[in-house]
Amino acid sequence: MQGIAALQPYVIAAFLLWAALMKLLSRRMRSQAGRTALARLFGPARAVPLLRLVAVAELAVAGVLLAPPSSPWDGTAAAVLSTGFLAYLAYSARAVPDSSCGCLGAHGRPVEWRSFARAGLLLALSVLAVTAGPYPIEPLAVVIAAAEVLALLALSPELDRHWLTPSRQLLVRLTRPLAVREPELIPLETSLRLLYRSPAYCTAAAHLSSDIQDFWDEDGLRYASYAARGRTAVFSIPLYGGAPADVRVALVEEPALRVM
Amino acid sequence: MTTRRQMLKSALLGSGATVVAATAMGSLGPEAAFAAAPDQPEPGVLDPDFAEGRIRSIKDNTLMVLGSNMVFHQIRVVDGTSLWKLGPVGFDQARPGDGLYARGVRMPDGMLAAESVWLNIVNIKGHVRNITNEKIHLDHNGKDVLCHVVPGRSVAVHSDAPPSADLSLLRVGQHVQIMGAWRPDTNEVDIATVFSPH
Repeated sequence: MQGIAALQPYVIAAFLLWAALMKLLSRRMRSQAGRTALARLFGPARAVPLLRLVAVAELAVAGVLLAPPSSPWDGTAAAVLSTGFLAYLAYSARAVPDSSCGCLGAHGRPVEWRSFARAGLLLALSVLAVTAGPYPIEPLAVVIAAAEVLALLALSPELDRHWLTPSRQLLVRLTRPLAVREPELIPLETSLRLLYRSPAYCTAAAHLSSDIQDFWDEDGLRYASYAARGRTAVFSIPLYGGAPADVRVALVEEPALRVM
Repeated sequence: MTTRRQMLKSALLGSGATVVAATAMGSLGPEAAFAAAPDQPEPGVLDPDFAEGRIRSIKDNTLMVLGSNMVFHQIRVVDGTSLWKLGPVGFDQARPGDGLYARGVRMPDGMLAAESVWLNIVNIKGHVRNITNEKIHLDHNGKDVLCHVVPGRSVAVHSDAPPSADLSLLRVGQHVQIMGAWRPDTNEVDIATVFSPH
């Protein structure tokens, strides 16, 4: 157990260092600080100074964790910081649910379950780190530490565009989930777009009083009927490769509208 | 219905005594385009010929609709009314709980005689978070909206190109605008048109 705990301070410190440097150095982060929950809770003018303050706290805790000799206070400091993260996330999710958390860089997504899971994981690692000491590092501990790093990265919505979006794009390219299953079906919208561009529709449009009422296909033509102030306008639209000029229209006198 | 369709079809061919004007008889004439349009409402004044809200109940041919501003509307649907619910549908497709926009003529008794009714129509913008089997997972201002592709109905419009039933050019991560029909009380939408900027 202690052997596993030996690497925890390094995992936490690396993560905190990264978070602090993102907050201190990223220009994009500073320009979008107004969209974080910090800005909404404490005012936009205080967002950047507060982000810097949090970054300094993260740097300090990372320094304590990395600097020898290790003591139980290192892990305790990290646990206090992680508890603070959790409290901030819970409060901002309740008070300003639309804001992003501003944890690891600028992005527009509001606080979600992954942010909580990440802070909770950091807290768990910190509690483990309390028991860390100068023990020899076992291979198993390295594997576990690597898994923890991967979990922390996967739980960071800020990094989605680097791995999640490209992997989904690749999967979509391979499986083609939106491939056309029934190519013989011609959506009505395709015919309507042709209709709207036709001279026949332009001359009749001022008469129309309703949206499309009915449509049916016959002999390579699609017929569409509209109400036209007590009359009926009927259009014929070519189904396959027609030009807008091929659309025809007729205005038909029908018995007055009956109540259904 | 078939006989009415036959009658309308024959009108297009220029036969039948009830035809008022047709392409087969020459143009409708340029004056048709400038025919008296309905009066436009004053800016800032509620349009009396328009209603929106959700259907509370349906009685015979009348929809009882509660507007989002808590104004109650009675909307009468007649033979000539067009109903849209992902496409033209019959009156039997209107259900309590459906959201609607309606346009028509306000009767003296306050009832709206509808010319067009659009049920559950929505227009949303967002980012494509993921694409799975016949579904687009949309991120709309941080909220997830599940958009269903309906074969034979859904089309994609890329830039200014004509609409295509092939939606497979859409990419994860891109920005889109989706017009479709909301499934009441869910975060799900059936897609009519996906507009893609490229």
